[in-house]
Amino acid sequence: METLKSLMANKTWCRFFAAVAAVLAPLGLLTLVQAQSQARQPDAKHGAVIAAQGTPAGAPPCAQCHAFNGASDSSGAFPRIAGQSALYLAGQLRDFAAGVRMSAIMSPIAKALSPDNVADVAAYYAGVEAPFLPLKAPDAALVKRGEALAKVGDAAKRIQACDNCHGPGGAGEPPAIPYLAGQYSQYIVFTLQMWQRDFRTNSPDAMAVIAKKLDAQDMAAVAAYYQQVRSPLAAAEAQRKD
Amino acid sequence: MATRLKPVDVVTIGVGLTGSLAALELVETGLKVVGLERGAGRDTVPDFQSPAIHDELRFSIRKANMQDNAKVAVTFRNNANQTALPIRRWESFLPGQGLGGAFVHWNGQSFRAQVADFIYKTHIEQRYGKKFLDACGPELTIQDWDVTYDELEPHYDRFECLLGVSGKAGNIKGQIRPGGNPFEAPRSREYPNPPMKEPYFGAIFRKGAESLGYHPYPQPSANLSRPYTNPLGLQLQACVFCGFCERYACEHYAKASPQTTILPVLLKNPNYELRTNCEVLRINLDNTRTKATGVTYVDAAGQEYEQPAELVLITAFPLNNVRTLLLSGIGKPYDPTTGEGVVGRNYTYQTTGGPTVFMDESININPFMASGANGTMIDDFGGDNFDHANLGFIGGQYVGAIMTNGRPIEFHPTPPGIPKWGLEWKRAVARHYNHTILIQQHGTSVASRLNYLDLDPTYKDAWGQPLLRMTFDFPDNDIRMSQYIADKVVEIGRAMGGKIIERGGTKRPYTTTVYQSTHNAGGAIMGTDPTTSVINRYLQCWDVPNVFSLGASAFPQNITYNYSVTIGALTYWALDSIKNKYLKSPGPLVHA
Repeated sequence: METLKSLMANKTWCRFFAAVAAVLAPLGLLTLVQAQSQARQPDAKHGAVIAAQGTPAGAPPCAQCHAFNGASDSSGAFPRIAGQSALYLAGQLRDFAAGVRMSAIMSPIAKALSPDNVADVAAYYAGVEAPFLPLKAPDAALVKRGEALAKVGDAAKRIQACDNCHGPGGAGEPPAIPYLAGQYSQYIVFTLQMWQRDFRTNSPDAMAVIAKKLDAQDMAAVAAYYQQVRSPLAAAEAQRKD
Repeated sequence: MATRLKPVDVVTIGVGLTGSLAALELVETGLKVVGLERGAGRDTVPDFQSPAIHDELRFSIRKANMQDNAKVAVTFRNNANQTALPIRRWESFLPGQGLGGAFVHWNGQSFRAQVADFIYKTHIEQRYGKKFLDACGPELTIQDWDVTYDELEPHYDRFECLLGVSGKAGNIKGQIRPGGNPFEAPRSREYPNPPMKEPYFGAIFRKGAESLGYHPYPQPSANLSRPYTNPLGLQLQACVFCGFCERYACEHYAKASPQTTILPVLLKNPNYELRTNCEVLRINLDNTRTKATGVTYVDAAGQEYEQPAELVLITAFPLNNVRTLLLSGIGKPYDPTTGEGVVGRNYTYQTTGGPTVFMDESININPFMASGANGTMIDDFGGDNFDHANLGFIGGQYVGAIMTNGRPIEFHPTPPGIPKWGLEWKRAVARHYNHTILIQQHGTSVASRLNYLDLDPTYKDAWGQPLLRMTFDFPDNDIRMSQYIADKVVEIGRAMGGKIIERGGTKRPYTTTVYQSTHNAGGAIMGTDPTTSVINRYLQCWDVPNVFSLGASAFPQNITYNYSVTIGALTYWALDSIKNKYLKSPGPLVHA
């Protein structure tokens, strides 16, 4: 994993992996057909192939937007998915396919993935460690306000701390609850707006209620905070390497 | 020397459920109300947030949300021949402390009492004859409440809407509804929110109970099943089944409490003033001893104050209501040797403790996914829902798989015969942790002339005032009742597929060292006759009409159910009369 991770940091190597994966794809498909037993375990290696190359049924490679290592980019259009729990990722894909979660981009892609594809690709991205992109430091005051919301909440607005569910430092409470640590601020704001306006309805009621209590400033603050925070585990890992 | 403060209209002694509810009713009529709370102020944000709020050692074991019994304890003995000793570590029951009181750390189990509960003595005599009660125990002193279910129904309804109770009605205006509790007293309408999701342990219980012909239903819960805005405009959120409910405060705005359903509106009202860390020493009376002039209290700095008030509401935990009356010399203290006197009389508790059902390893219960009030139960053995004619006891219990948690320190079920520590114990915990269902038996304990509350002759609190002394053991009637039901519940455990079933049921003597129930009741009971009650049907003191004692201390005897919703309804009922009758013409609302 260590080697893979350092390889992933290098774009050239990423492309190489994608190419190798493409060659291996038919083999992966064969494996898939054979593995239609009830107790089928997700095949992360086959998931990597889908991520790199897409599927014959027409799903494009995830890597086109989310990068092969799941780090995506900071545009806000595509969330970071590296290391997100498999259960969560697979659930989102199913919701996209069923139209429970709306996205003009993701819905047709998710529809093109078989249930096994979904399980495999979710398992792949759940197991990837990816570096965090170097991003411009956000406004310190904004981060501070965001940190208060994340850790303590807001009494006047009756908003509980985000960390209650999303874990200390937004590390996530896998498998059900996604991490926020290191997620792109633009994406967090966009998603909160989706909940606020009732476009996103595929989560427990909690997020819609909370998003409606947040104003634009709150959203920007909490998003700025989570983009720069690292989960305690990741931080400890980074320190160990230094 | 006490500093005399500017007079106000109303003082509440305690700011928990009854204190905040009553204050809100009164400030809205324009009265100036001061709330005196002995504990600290606290709110969902910042005080109840994780990870600190999920500290099991701090809250479950060291009881951080409970009355500080280094300052004010309760002394206890089983009978009048023993010497009572102070309870220095709460276990059996857990009086709350701090803004919001015990209504912060409650589980959210939200029942109404039954029609017969309010006319209990009349009902038992009518159904079983006058001699029946004597046969159950000559020491029993059950009474009617002097308020009927029909009178309370609108107040129950209003209080449930304030909380946003999540449940399924079993009886709407006399019509039995499928899915609800068919033994439920008639409701005017459905619960404000649908029931919580049924956990797996509830589903297993449902199947077992149904196979024996019982009537399972979802437990009504004040941990909400969906987001809800109450009539005061306060929004609550849906419970996330975190498994830290009872003994804890909710970080999610999902459990109804004063903080989530009342206080944000009350604290904004300019007619209200909250004073925390204020210990009320006594209610002051004028020289006729029939009129209260206010209260004396000590603040956190040790300063003593006299707060004059026209109306004094005792709104503390039931045990503390009784103690306040005794310390203030309001009402005649009960004397068990003569049976005379009223304050401290008819103190009652509840019978609890059901079987543990050990399941096969293939059945994964995941007990940590729980709320304080989820689960499935039956009321077939509640109150007087079954024929007692040939049983030789009165009373009953509800029965249910209503597990609240799988917390690591508290939850480690092991079958009988396993050592209490060591390797074998660890192996048994690992084997059974995720495959065990606790079934609750929870019900009545009848009033007895032998059980009472008075002031302790020896032990004093931090301010030099006598502690409350509790003299209590379960009447034999309760043991017979609980053991009878225990047999029935073992059958349910078998029908659920239990491999090993550890039988439940209450035994004597009562001990304060094992958690049972925080539904301490009575001691300042309501009634028609001043020689057998402290307060009238409007919870107004017979002897001092400008003092009202609100809460479960008013119950003449305890009910089958968790009592918070009945306390809320009773508080609305009393406040209705205070607002519409008493304030227009202060004085006794009932002439004995």
